[in-house]
Amino acid sequence: MAKNRELTYSQALNELEKIVAEIESEEVDVDVLAEKIKRASFLITFCKGKLRTAEDEVKNVLSEMEEGPAEEAGGEEGNGY
Amino acid sequence: MEDISSEKQALSLSQLNGLIKAAITNTLPDMYWVVAEIAEIKLNQRGHCYLELVEKEDDATIAQIKAAIWAYEYRSISSKFQKATNEHLSRGMKILFLAAVTFHEVYGLSLNIKNIDPTYTIGEMARKRQEVIERIRKEGIIDKNKLLELPLVPQRIAVISSPTAAGYGDFINHLDRNPYSYRFVHVLFPALMQGNEAEASIINALGQIRKKRTGFDLAVMIRGGGSTIDLSCFDSYALSSAVATFPLPIISGIGHEKDDTVVDIVAHTRMKTPTAVAEFIVSGVRAFEETVLGLETRLVNRADELLKDEKQRLISLARQISLVPYRLKSIQLNRLLLVQKDIRGHIRQIFHANRNRLEIMQQAVRHLDPEQVLRRGYSITRHKGKVVKDAASLKNGMVIESTLHKGTVASIVQSGRTRKEGKSHGKKQRTDLLPGLE
Repeated sequence: MAKNRELTYSQALNELEKIVAEIESEEVDVDVLAEKIKRASFLITFCKGKLRTAEDEVKNVLSEMEEGPAEEAGGEEGNGY
Repeated sequence: MEDISSEKQALSLSQLNGLIKAAITNTLPDMYWVVAEIAEIKLNQRGHCYLELVEKEDDATIAQIKAAIWAYEYRSISSKFQKATNEHLSRGMKILFLAAVTFHEVYGLSLNIKNIDPTYTIGEMARKRQEVIERIRKEGIIDKNKLLELPLVPQRIAVISSPTAAGYGDFINHLDRNPYSYRFVHVLFPALMQGNEAEASIINALGQIRKKRTGFDLAVMIRGGGSTIDLSCFDSYALSSAVATFPLPIISGIGHEKDDTVVDIVAHTRMKTPTAVAEFIVSGVRAFEETVLGLETRLVNRADELLKDEKQRLISLARQISLVPYRLKSIQLNRLLLVQKDIRGHIRQIFHANRNRLEIMQQAVRHLDPEQVLRRGYSITRHKGKVVKDAASLKNGMVIESTLHKGTVASIVQSGRTRKEGKSHGKKQRTDLLPGLE
């Protein structure tokens, strides 16, 4: 998990939903709009890209496999994301 | 006594065994329907089936006997059994069978099984299965795996399967060749998926995944394509409870059309085939992407809307601005008209002033007209047509001509002085003429 410094799917989705809600509800200044759209399109591209590459995930899983029995027991915070 | 008994009553072993055999045949001449549990079962090379049958009470064996099914009967008995139960005859199974009690002088006592009634085993399996379900329910874990949330994006998959199973290949193909080109990470945790070792093998694989669970979003349990037999291990308590309490959602694709196994019941999601499991996973990722795409559409629409509003504002501003020149023009026009009026007034004044000066000048010019000068009594003197301006240029005897207001007089010069005087006077008068302009 420590290796996962990158944005997660759920973080990206949450932020994206927030941006859309903001833009849809409030009176948005055009300059702010441009900024928000830029961020949103980054998030969308990030998600689409991550769905199709997952290179990091491969590496993470493989390295964990090599490490052998690593972390065990404890809670059930299932979602790695 | 000892000698007598040893000599007269001693039987050979074969004689004794012969007696036993006769006794058994006499007292147990029929065939009997018997219920027993299979403790061991094996086929030899000639196709005969040998079993060890037991009866247990609280896990303690209270009866045991050998049994055999001869190859000739085994074929039909086992295929009938398999068709009815979807199971091979196997260890731990309870069966109802028809058997003859036989005794062989060498091999001893044995049951010769002639028939097996599979309905008993079906009922028995169902009863056991029900017991397992009840137990899991009582323990409060039957919904435990189901209550786990499916991951937002099921992209890292731990697979429990036999690496050689056709179903495993189908699963991987479907996952890796999904139509959206999603990339999946799948790691195989190999396990035996049928036979007596399956239960322990699968439980072991679950344990391996559990140790690395942070690397995975989901676990799937898949098994050969189309094979619908030997599912009994998926009804076992040990495996079912391991699945129910597993920390990752488990998708089962055990590949059968029959009633759900207990593992299917406690797994998070039950799919019929490995291919269906792969499709389920792909659809999960797709659902996420569709959510993102939906947000993208909303975003684009809203941005369009806002930009259109902004554009509309700009257009109306532009329209207002475009009216400005007209207004400016009319203002300018008025100013122009005023200026024009001013200028006209000035010009009139200028003209007026100039006209006065002109009249004065005209008067002056009129005074200078020689005609007028002559009229006032002056005369012009010429010598040979040339105007005489200096008396000194004249000599005695020269004829000069004087033009008066009316008529001309010719004279002869006699003394220069006189004429000089006259001339100079005339000169004088001339210079005086100019002041007459006033």
